[in-house]
Amino acid sequence: MSRRFVAVAAVTAATALLAQSLADFEKKVTEFTLANGLHFIVVERHGAPVVSFQTFVNAGAVDDPKGETGIAHMMEHMAFKGTETIGTKNYPLEKAALNNIEKIYDQYDQERYKGDKADPKKLASLEADLKGAIEKADSFVEPNEYDRLIESQGGVGLNAGTGMDSTSYYLSFPANRLELWFLLESERFVRPVFREFYKERDVVREERRMRVESNSQGLLMESLLSIAFAAHPYKNMPGGWASDIENYRMPEAWQFFKTHYIPANMTIGIAGDVDPKQAKALAEKYFGRLPGKPLPAPVRTVEPAQLGEKRSGFEHKDQPLMLIGYKRPDRNHKDAKILDVVADILAGGRTSMLYTEMVRDKKMSLAAIAQPSFPGDKYANLFIFFLVPNMGRTIEENEKTCYDIIEKLKTTKVDDAALTRTKTKVRAAVIRKLDSNSGLAGELASYHATTGDWRNMFREIDEINKITADDVQRVAKEYLVAKNRTVVWTYQPKGAAK
Amino acid sequence: MRPFVLVLLASAILATAQPAATIIPSYKQLKYPPLKPVQIPEPATFTLPNGMKVYLLENHELPLLSGSALIRTGNLFDPADKRGLADFTGQVLRSGGTKSKTGDAIDIELENIAASVESQIGESSGSVSFSCLKENAAQVLAIFKDVLTNPEFRQDKFDLAVQQEKSAISRRNDDPGDIAQREFSSIVYGRNNPYGWTIEYEHVDRIKREDLQAFYKRYYFPKNARLTIYGDFNATEMRASLEKLFANWTVDQPAVPPFPAWTGKPEPGVFLAEKDDTTQTFFYLGHIGGLLNDKDYPALEVAANILASGFSSRLMATVRTKLGYAYNIGGGWGAGFNSPGLFQIAGSTKSNTTVDTIRVTKEEIEKLRTTAVSDAELQTAKDGVLNSFVFNFDRPSKTLNRVVLYEYFGYPKDFMFQYQKAIAAVTKADVLRVAKEHWKSSDFTIVAVGNPKEFGTPLEDLKIPVTKLDLTIPEPKSATSSAPAPVASEEALEKGQALAAKAVQALGGLKVLQAVQDLQIDRDMELQTGASTIKLKQTTQMVLPNHLRQEQILPFGKLQVYTDLKTGWMLGPQGNIPLQPAVLQQARGELARIPALLFLPGEGKKFQALSGDSFQVTGPGGTSTVTLDSNGLPKKLEYMSTAMAGAASQTTEIYSDWRNVGGGLQLPFDIVIEQGGKKFATIKVTSYKVNAGLKAEDLAQKPK
Repeated sequence: MSRRFVAVAAVTAATALLAQSLADFEKKVTEFTLANGLHFIVVERHGAPVVSFQTFVNAGAVDDPKGETGIAHMMEHMAFKGTETIGTKNYPLEKAALNNIEKIYDQYDQERYKGDKADPKKLASLEADLKGAIEKADSFVEPNEYDRLIESQGGVGLNAGTGMDSTSYYLSFPANRLELWFLLESERFVRPVFREFYKERDVVREERRMRVESNSQGLLMESLLSIAFAAHPYKNMPGGWASDIENYRMPEAWQFFKTHYIPANMTIGIAGDVDPKQAKALAEKYFGRLPGKPLPAPVRTVEPAQLGEKRSGFEHKDQPLMLIGYKRPDRNHKDAKILDVVADILAGGRTSMLYTEMVRDKKMSLAAIAQPSFPGDKYANLFIFFLVPNMGRTIEENEKTCYDIIEKLKTTKVDDAALTRTKTKVRAAVIRKLDSNSGLAGELASYHATTGDWRNMFREIDEINKITADDVQRVAKEYLVAKNRTVVWTYQPKGAAK
Repeated sequence: MRPFVLVLLASAILATAQPAATIIPSYKQLKYPPLKPVQIPEPATFTLPNGMKVYLLENHELPLLSGSALIRTGNLFDPADKRGLADFTGQVLRSGGTKSKTGDAIDIELENIAASVESQIGESSGSVSFSCLKENAAQVLAIFKDVLTNPEFRQDKFDLAVQQEKSAISRRNDDPGDIAQREFSSIVYGRNNPYGWTIEYEHVDRIKREDLQAFYKRYYFPKNARLTIYGDFNATEMRASLEKLFANWTVDQPAVPPFPAWTGKPEPGVFLAEKDDTTQTFFYLGHIGGLLNDKDYPALEVAANILASGFSSRLMATVRTKLGYAYNIGGGWGAGFNSPGLFQIAGSTKSNTTVDTIRVTKEEIEKLRTTAVSDAELQTAKDGVLNSFVFNFDRPSKTLNRVVLYEYFGYPKDFMFQYQKAIAAVTKADVLRVAKEHWKSSDFTIVAVGNPKEFGTPLEDLKIPVTKLDLTIPEPKSATSSAPAPVASEEALEKGQALAAKAVQALGGLKVLQAVQDLQIDRDMELQTGASTIKLKQTTQMVLPNHLRQEQILPFGKLQVYTDLKTGWMLGPQGNIPLQPAVLQQARGELARIPALLFLPGEGKKFQALSGDSFQVTGPGGTSTVTLDSNGLPKKLEYMSTAMAGAASQTTEIYSDWRNVGGGLQLPFDIVIEQGGKKFATIKVTSYKVNAGLKAEDLAQKPK
């Protein structure tokens, strides 16, 4: 009884503190939307003369057209290839050479499409022409100029990432390079040139070899997605399938760019030693050039209800691993936050149910992890468990124990202490997020883009504080059921070295 | 296929949509205002009466506090036979709880307030750290102090850490990139020193809780610790509370000696680890690096940046952008505070471009050694360091950490600024000189992990000797005999044969041993089971080669068993007991291990020398390891026995009191058996009867 009282008091105090944090923080934030629909969030942090940027594009692998899996990722790679003025020795000549590549490639494809009737001599000659055309275009390239410029001007943390739902570009600069960032970032979306496309296609193919094909965890994830989803594009890994990558054409990436990289589909976060008025003026000057365009259609395919448990193992020489995924609704569903809490109670930290039982007490797992959303959360997705058995312990006992723990969550109400602990952790995590420019730029841009308001980063704490033990139990019973489940694992060949 | 015309149309739309009024400058025309000077905070520094140095830095932006005690220790102090000791000490220091609280209780207490206290020991330092909300500062500081000064190292959490470490060892050959990195580091640093060795099961098995406690005691004392605290607090108040909090931590130890210096030599060559389930080859190339305070370090950084770091390096431009061979290619000149880092280039490429990629990488290094870089390259590399210099000060906590780190390693306070100045002064000639002097292509160690069947061009085409790496993870010593027998060298087999012959001679000679037809052994045994001791009498009758009958008188009755190694029976006080496969296995072992048979040559039998006096016998009874005494008599026999419960355990038999039992045949009268490292049985043989005329059919006779 007394414990319950303490818990409630703590939560109330937390909410009050939070309202205070939000009010304080709000004073540092300036927001504006350009006429073309591009939204900016600027956070002032004047402690050091540095500034971080993140461009959040609300498009990712889930938007890849059929036969072009991974094209969103390919497009992200092309965003570093420069512009009509950066990365070229002579743009008009280069442009003609690039067009010529596509013309020859079209002829080559036309011949290829004939299949058995294709003329091998003609193919060989077109292949040679293509190689020549690519070499010609390459002769106009100033290699890696875009990257070099950023690095020599003191840019750090230069990178980008393509997820299922979105694509992000990040970078930090010394504060006096503010205008340079506006120039470079706007130019690559106003006047990009997808040069060296077919070399970069090889690079992207290597990336797949590295991340998926040579890595049993990568293969296992790919297996989970392709089996769990019958229809929805979450069934394809964000990097795409090998044969799709090998056949990308430059116009396909261009088409993706034209459709999805439009101002109203992008949000830019800026955090650091920056004057918001100046940022706004520069935003208008540089990003105002982007034409406004209608939003692309969201994914139309809805994953149909699963008819029953799906299971699939494959042989691999590596030590065994298992992934379990339960179908769950998207991030804006009323149960989404409750599922976040379920994941924390199950596997967040050393007091969680999976850790204490499977890792600590029964010593059967090297790791037992739960994640509320995979591989994205814009659409209905998977609540996953990743199990890594300890030496001499089996996948089977790990799987069974994991299910036993899930059942416990359904039959026994989680105690107040555990629930309060989770809520406290969520609140502290938000405060800790405020401690980094790059983290802030990213978090605020992404909260705005995915929920409509950056303030939801604070407000969702209130939402989580309202969650009860009954909610946790109900949601576990509703989603974490065998019928919703896909189980994939690896096993070693018989007689393999231990 | 999408028609290309669409794309052209798109470009046209974009072009017309640009408002004509805005004139966008070229980046070359941009002028940058001077950067505001960075605020370099000055931590408050003092020493507590117990000798611990303290560094405090206030920062009130967020209601958070964090801190860390930096301890002069490291895994460089691991004993060779107990590798991993420092790591275990670091982990269990926290997980094993304190005198008054278990680690689990601390987990709950901290997670309830979203705080953390963590502990670890790395190569050349250890730390206990904390992080919390301001409102919980006092509570968390108290736990932090308790963990730092009163760790209990509870056995259960040590067991957990051991289990996790062993699992990690068992999985260490799963990721090709990890394999390449580990092997490269081990070969360059050398496998016989703490910079390069790997932790094996046998090392983990040797470590005991007391070792952790002793390691802790040696290094964790106030004069050997530096405490930093950062965040939302008042330094004056904090000082007062720290003085109170740490007043009773007054343990002392002699000053910690310097870390063992690295003294190795180059190990040039190509080293191949086969992993046939990857489509890429992961490779590392390079050699030993240098120190941060080497006068050439700044120029080496510039040279390495031009070669291999960031997106604008030469390797990125050639291997990735121009050739499309790799997604991942890059590296750097490695420099450490007090020991050399690794000069390394790492990459991964599809199997059939392995040799090409390595060759191109080597060529790019060679170019830097022989031809001056361009002005633009030099400028880009220097600008990169100088323009991003401000990021060394973007958080006040970075300054605090740097102050402590420089002091810890004995570097000057202004080292960072000396470095800045030195970078600005680097010339093209410097770059060429340091590349020539410090990058020695004849010393290159190249490690490749991949599937050589798919290489197309063999690694031998690099014209460097290729050595194959054996990645087999050595089985724990306690399970050696269950491991698949390693392929024995001719030499080891020859020596093994000689040792077996020596044993045969000592036991009475080949003729005497071959003459043994049957044998009866009567023994008095004392078995240790948990806290109690069981005494029993046992009679074993054997008709060689495959009949065994054993009778033992236990406190609760008589147990009899007979087997011909295919079938048999077992009879207890309550009647028939089904004959378990484990019993058959045990009987097979007992028959095979009697000295009269063990050392005789036979079909499928192999003797392999392990050292001058020990050898491994592989045969129908499994694998045993024998150690001979100076007379050639076996003094120790080790094998895996299968207990009734199923779990195999390491068994050792120690023999003494050898006597002539007739005809020159020597047999032991005192035997001690250990299982899983613990004494299990003491045996006194009361008599051996050799060739008394036992008959197999008599042995098989089941009592009514």
